[in-house]
Amino acid sequence: MAIAMDLASVTSIWLAALFTIWAYSYTFRDNVWFKFAEHIYVGAAAGNLIVLGIDNVIRYGWLPLTKGSMLYIVVFLLGILLYSRYHGKYFWISRFPLALMVGIGIGLSMRSTVTSEFIAQIQSTVTMKVLGVADPWTAFSNLVFIIITLCVVYFFVFTFPGIHKGNLGIISKIARYSMMAAFGYSFANGFLSRVTMIFGRLDFLKSQWLPLPGAMVALPIVLVLLVYAMLPAEKRPWPKPTKSK
Amino acid sequence: MSKQEKNIWEKLENLPREFLYGLLLIAFIVPMINPMGLPLPVTPEVKKWYDTIEALPSGAAIIIDQGYSGGGEPECGPFAVAVYHHIFRKGGLRVIGVATTQEGPLLWDKAMAEVNPEKYGRKYGVDYIMLGYFAGVETAMAALGKDLRALTSTDYKGASLDQYPVMQGIKGATTVNLLICYTTGGDQSEGWVRQWYTPYKTPYLCNVLALMMPTMLPYMKAGQIVSLTSGAQAGQMESLVKVPARGIAGADVMTFTEILVSAFVVVGNIAYFGRRASKKKA
Repeated sequence: MAIAMDLASVTSIWLAALFTIWAYSYTFRDNVWFKFAEHIYVGAAAGNLIVLGIDNVIRYGWLPLTKGSMLYIVVFLLGILLYSRYHGKYFWISRFPLALMVGIGIGLSMRSTVTSEFIAQIQSTVTMKVLGVADPWTAFSNLVFIIITLCVVYFFVFTFPGIHKGNLGIISKIARYSMMAAFGYSFANGFLSRVTMIFGRLDFLKSQWLPLPGAMVALPIVLVLLVYAMLPAEKRPWPKPTKSK
Repeated sequence: MSKQEKNIWEKLENLPREFLYGLLLIAFIVPMINPMGLPLPVTPEVKKWYDTIEALPSGAAIIIDQGYSGGGEPECGPFAVAVYHHIFRKGGLRVIGVATTQEGPLLWDKAMAEVNPEKYGRKYGVDYIMLGYFAGVETAMAALGKDLRALTSTDYKGASLDQYPVMQGIKGATTVNLLICYTTGGDQSEGWVRQWYTPYKTPYLCNVLALMMPTMLPYMKAGQIVSLTSGAQAGQMESLVKVPARGIAGADVMTFTEILVSAFVVVGNIAYFGRRASKKKA
């Protein structure tokens, strides 16, 4: 597999592998290799975004304009006006295209937000059945869902502080524990996400980089250099830390 | 200033991160070197996703938002690849790829290189196509739904859409049978509900990062999403589609690391309550 690869692919795999190791090295300790990888990444990402952005302007703006869609002149003008915010005197002009963008965005979102995020959600909770459900587990699950929903809504009623005290305090307590459980679920999912991503990179190292010639020799060298870079400056034999006056 | 000696509970609560990450790294590497093939049960959501595609009639059009970023590719990529295998193997379906992230078209190429649709006899322009990246997220989604041809007349390579048989009769949301979105962003996963499901009632399958699941679940509960899955469930889809790849390979790793982190949480809690108890005693 490795022999059939062209030089560009091999180089990109080597770079990707080294940057993966350097980027993840931060989890153990900050070091100069991580900083190098971080700066390169930020620069490369910015460069990539600029190139993609220019390509998009050409494809979806300039090309239709050159083909006769004159309305794109207005779009280009509005786009250029956005940059007036960098001018000390005429910065206010940028507010017009910005207002247009915000207006369109809000208009588009609002047309269905009420239906999709309020009515549909409330409807699905209100229509939840406890009685007459064939599966007892579903009935129990629905009951717990309804109780938790009511308790959490109750918890966020701040207008009357008295309702969270005394015997009624149990409702707020149930709400608090329920929310804690939900946060735990979120944390577990977040962790699972990160694990999958790290696995993706480790799998790349194992299946694509290590089979390449020289990678098995390079790996311990890279790791030794990393450990060396993680050592505190005064413990390194070289270079000696410079003493500040 | 003399340092106070830490008791066992305090030491347990303040384990060095190098030690914890070291253990985590071992939990990653051991099952990668020695896969154990732990059981991988298929959840109802993944099965529903599979069944939804299986139930599509011949000639059905699927619009797919390749909406994940490069950083999220290790999670969303394997699931997307498994689904592409399913779609192309089933045949008779038209895949129209779009991207709501700038990296989308590049990641589409990566996925297609992995899937190799030609292996199933599918051809670009006849069975599948990528229209490219559309800026504006919800604005683009709304425009795509209303009149796709007004938004673009070319595919991502700049060739006219009229020359591709796959695009025949495709005008907007009303001419599409299914919407699939793989994404690492809430704007995309929720945006499709607002701009496609709500006005057009297009059946919607959504694959997100596992960490996005809690925010997206209410949409599935309300019936706005047919099936919601996370990229971490790629192994389940691969086992259903019978194309073992990165998802199945990662299943053991996920189980191992989840067990380890659960152990960390238990140890942390024991240390917390132990410290409280020892303080009370003192």
